[in-house]
Amino acid sequence: MLEERYTHLQMIGLVVMRVLIGWHFLYEGVAKLLDPNWSAAGYLNAAKGPMADTFKWMASTPDILEWVNFLNIWGLTLVGLFLILGLLTRYVAIAGAFMVLLYYLANPPFIGYFSSVPTEGSYLLVNKNLVEIAALFVIAVTHSGRYAGLDRIFYRLFHRKGAVEEREFTGATV
Amino acid sequence: MSERDDKQLQEKTDPGEKRGIERRDILQGMATLPVLGLFGYAVHKQVSYKNATIAQTLGTAQASDLREVNVALIGAGAQGQVLLDAMLKIPNLRFRAVCDIWEFNLGRAIRTLKKYDHEVNGYEDYREMLDKEKDVEAVVIATPDFWHAPHTIDSLRAGKHVYCEKEMSNTLEGARAMVLAARETGKLLQIGHQRRSNPRYIYCYEKLVKEAKLLGRIVTVNGQWNRAVQEDLGYPKRYEIPAEKLRQYGYKSMEQFRNWRWYRGLGGGPIVDLGSHQIDIYNWFLEANPVAVMASGGNDYYSPETREWYDTAMVVYEYHTAEGPARAYYQTQTTNSSLGYFERFMGDQGTLVISESDANYANAIYREVTAPPWDEWIQKGYVTAPKVAEVQEERNVVLDVRESVSPEEHKIPIEFVDLYHRPHLMNFFNAVRGLEKLNCPAEVGYESAVTVLKVNEAIEAKRRLEFRPEEFEVS
Repeated sequence: MLEERYTHLQMIGLVVMRVLIGWHFLYEGVAKLLDPNWSAAGYLNAAKGPMADTFKWMASTPDILEWVNFLNIWGLTLVGLFLILGLLTRYVAIAGAFMVLLYYLANPPFIGYFSSVPTEGSYLLVNKNLVEIAALFVIAVTHSGRYAGLDRIFYRLFHRKGAVEEREFTGATV
Repeated sequence: MSERDDKQLQEKTDPGEKRGIERRDILQGMATLPVLGLFGYAVHKQVSYKNATIAQTLGTAQASDLREVNVALIGAGAQGQVLLDAMLKIPNLRFRAVCDIWEFNLGRAIRTLKKYDHEVNGYEDYREMLDKEKDVEAVVIATPDFWHAPHTIDSLRAGKHVYCEKEMSNTLEGARAMVLAARETGKLLQIGHQRRSNPRYIYCYEKLVKEAKLLGRIVTVNGQWNRAVQEDLGYPKRYEIPAEKLRQYGYKSMEQFRNWRWYRGLGGGPIVDLGSHQIDIYNWFLEANPVAVMASGGNDYYSPETREWYDTAMVVYEYHTAEGPARAYYQTQTTNSSLGYFERFMGDQGTLVISESDANYANAIYREVTAPPWDEWIQKGYVTAPKVAEVQEERNVVLDVRESVSPEEHKIPIEFVDLYHRPHLMNFFNAVRGLEKLNCPAEVGYESAVTVLKVNEAIEAKRRLEFRPEEFEVS
């Protein structure tokens, strides 16, 4: 299996990053949940870049928009919750990265595209969405949920070879 | 530490055996759980902060002694939702019923109300609602224009006070019947020209125009509502209303039902939807009804199949004010949103640019260089000190004899951060309680309807049409 060894500090770093991203997702979801008038239409209509037409089409098709709203609210909420809890960590990290990728594509900081919305910083190709995608990728390829998270408990209960793999997390002493 | 790790390591060397769960796994497995507690606490704090801020701006404390009013809503579409949102921020209202022929809107309104602890009955037929909801004292109507008259008149006759959206009606006969029904029943009828209750408009009219007379004599007015290109409104397929039912309620198709504003016989087009708000302000500030109107308009951009009314209209009104003649221009278009919407009153001493929105470069007053100084009014706080003009040394501007120096800009010191319709609805409900007079009673709404509906007539006639003074009266 995996040969890498992670120190406690490295694992704690990953867990903290996971929880912070989870918090961000969860509040984005909850805030939309609490606002009965929230709709993705505004964001979709402001879309720029090569996929702008697709996003605008979503906003203008009520059937699709209903789904987009539903998936956004609950996707954000559940991904956030699961990331914080460390449950199905790697799968929800991939799902979360996919969602943020869509946000990135809807308003990409590509050369020549200037967002009309006042932004709080300056971005060229790389923006915070892309950084969050990269961070979620790191979460997806590591086992922070099995270090600190409900995944650990399920892993222990259902996985026979757990003993060996645990070394990944506690390795420093070997 | 190392001892324990050694022990663990030993355990781990036996891979085939299911190791089971240890206390340490449970602890570490749930290590991040407290974060949710912190999250919940933070969200709770955030929500209570928001609610407290809202409560503060609404002055719930003083309002709490107001009598509770039972309310019903007829028409829960886009505008009905806007009114509903505003009403949910008005204390001491109790919603009893909602009526809409479209399940999609009806369900949404009921769900929204439920969130705010209002248990309401949903109706498709407004007559049934009026029959059954005996406790309802006030009805708010936000249906398509051609339904305003029947909805309002039947509600008034059922003994309810009515707040009806503008345009009062799509026909003058309808509007007249509404005024008469209000008189007959002695019930209140407020028309939804909500700028009439907007603190900024009231301030500008009462303080700046009337009291300080900062504009001098108003000779010209212009205003506009420019909108970007708009697609037709759609609908989720599974919420399509059967053709039979649509016909019963006066619509040919689902497309027509959703986009009624653009159809003859149902609405009045942009000049009525948008223009009536602003032209109503012309009449108010000039304290007169117009004597004549010229207009040019057409269906210049959209397919006449789906947009029967004019997408573009340009209008000139003539007024005889107490101080002399005045001319007022108005335009609306749905092809370009340049400068948004505003009204501009131009007097021989100053210019007032006012808008419901803060986003339209408006809400400032400009002093003509030839006008007497405004120092007194600046000191009294009626307007702010002028913005210092930008130095133009580089450009070496020389004024030609045909030009004048640009007027100085002063800001109007009224912050209006509220839902646009809330003050007007508050005024209505306080009138129901007997505490205030209506800011836009049926008669005022009627004068506005006469003024605006004539534009479509003038476009059709392609000539100047005159108003007789008695046209504005209902007898």
